[in-house]
Amino acid sequence: MAERGFVGKTSVLIRKDLLVELRGRDTLPPMLAFCVTVALLLAFSLPGNTVMQDAVEVPIGTIAIADVIAGFLWITILFAGLIGFARTFEVDRAEGALDALLLVPLDRSGLFAAKALSNLVYIVVVQLVLVPVFALFFSLGLGADWLVLVLVIALVDIGFVAVGTLFASLAAQTRSRELILPVLALPALVPIFLAAVELTSDLFMGGGFEAVAARGWFGVLIVFDLVFATVGALTFEFAID
Amino acid sequence: MSYGSTIALKPVDLTLYDGVTGLFGPNGAGKSTLLRVLTGLLRPSAGAALLHGDEIRSSDESIRRRIGYVGHEAGLYPRLSVLENLELFSDLHGLARGRVSEVIEQLDMGEWRATRVAALSAGLKRRAAVARAVLHEPDVLLLDEPYANLDDDASERVSATVQTWRAPGRVAVIATHGAKRVKAFADAGIIIQRGNVISYRRRTPTGYEVAT
Repeated sequence: MAERGFVGKTSVLIRKDLLVELRGRDTLPPMLAFCVTVALLLAFSLPGNTVMQDAVEVPIGTIAIADVIAGFLWITILFAGLIGFARTFEVDRAEGALDALLLVPLDRSGLFAAKALSNLVYIVVVQLVLVPVFALFFSLGLGADWLVLVLVIALVDIGFVAVGTLFASLAAQTRSRELILPVLALPALVPIFLAAVELTSDLFMGGGFEAVAARGWFGVLIVFDLVFATVGALTFEFAID
Repeated sequence: MSYGSTIALKPVDLTLYDGVTGLFGPNGAGKSTLLRVLTGLLRPSAGAALLHGDEIRSSDESIRRRIGYVGHEAGLYPRLSVLENLELFSDLHGLARGRVSEVIEQLDMGEWRATRVAALSAGLKRRAAVARAVLHEPDVLLLDEPYANLDDDASERVSATVQTWRAPGRVAVIATHGAKRVKAFADAGIIIQRGNVISYRRRTPTGYEVAT
């Protein structure tokens, strides 16, 4: 049998992570429970029958409901993601499997890609549940702009899992990894979540693709994704070793 | 090699030869630290471990191919079966599927091939771990307490597996605090105490000679 290449071995590792998660259900259920609970609490925090374009008083002045809901959505995804990322290497730490994994002939960037893609699967599942829940609770009516929202989510997710996986590998070397991870990752995630909130808010306000794209936030997302996917793949070796 | 202010392993300068070398010493002597340095998973505070002149670093893919290692833990995924674990590592090493069955047979693990690792006894986990380490027929085999929790029959299986693996150009180091089993077939023995190598001898047709 010819030896599997980079993609083949990476796929084997993703399949392993997902199979272990399917059997253990250690990561996704807590992420989903967190999301649904937070969405429910947030739904009760806003007055009923709010319209996206309505203004709302906040400590810093008056903003549109759309900004608040976009912020709610992405903050929920951010913290759900951190719950999942903190567990990135837990499956490999049990019974010392990480040592065995670090001794297989696969470039460290393959290991990074496998972990990042497994995390991406968890984040996408969370979003598949959370976005409809938000749509229901907050009466989101985007019409044809749902596709633009999907594009925004996809671009945010790439950078989010790249940063999350890289810092999870650093935090995994520490005893208090679940506390260290947010401290390391949150500052790095500010630009991407700022872009996510701005873009989503514009969409909720009724701006179409052209109007949203004109503000330049897509550029921020694309640059962030490229930088952190590359930095992650190149520096993962130093983080995990 | 030190952990904070604790020196786990004092300067060691030795050459390992083909065959099986027993690494003997009480708990806390530095055996596991020496083995981890030899895998490249642990970087020494000073100096280097070399394999045929190349520095052993776990980040070096060509070195990783040549090393098989069993640490204190099994190095297996508890939620996967023995077979799934071995197939996973077989795929990552690019081995033929037949090799997995061969190793399972060699270590007499057939009865437990479909059992999840989490459900195995400590002794069976050690055997499965040894199976994983010899799967890709490494040039360097490093086993840390492979006989822990094993009954006599299982210990014999492990010893037989190491002897089957043994070939010219291959080096095994077996760390254990109970020397008897390894002494029976080892070609050399290192005694280590409090981080110091206090004796290194090689077997000769007439007895033992001091090795360096």
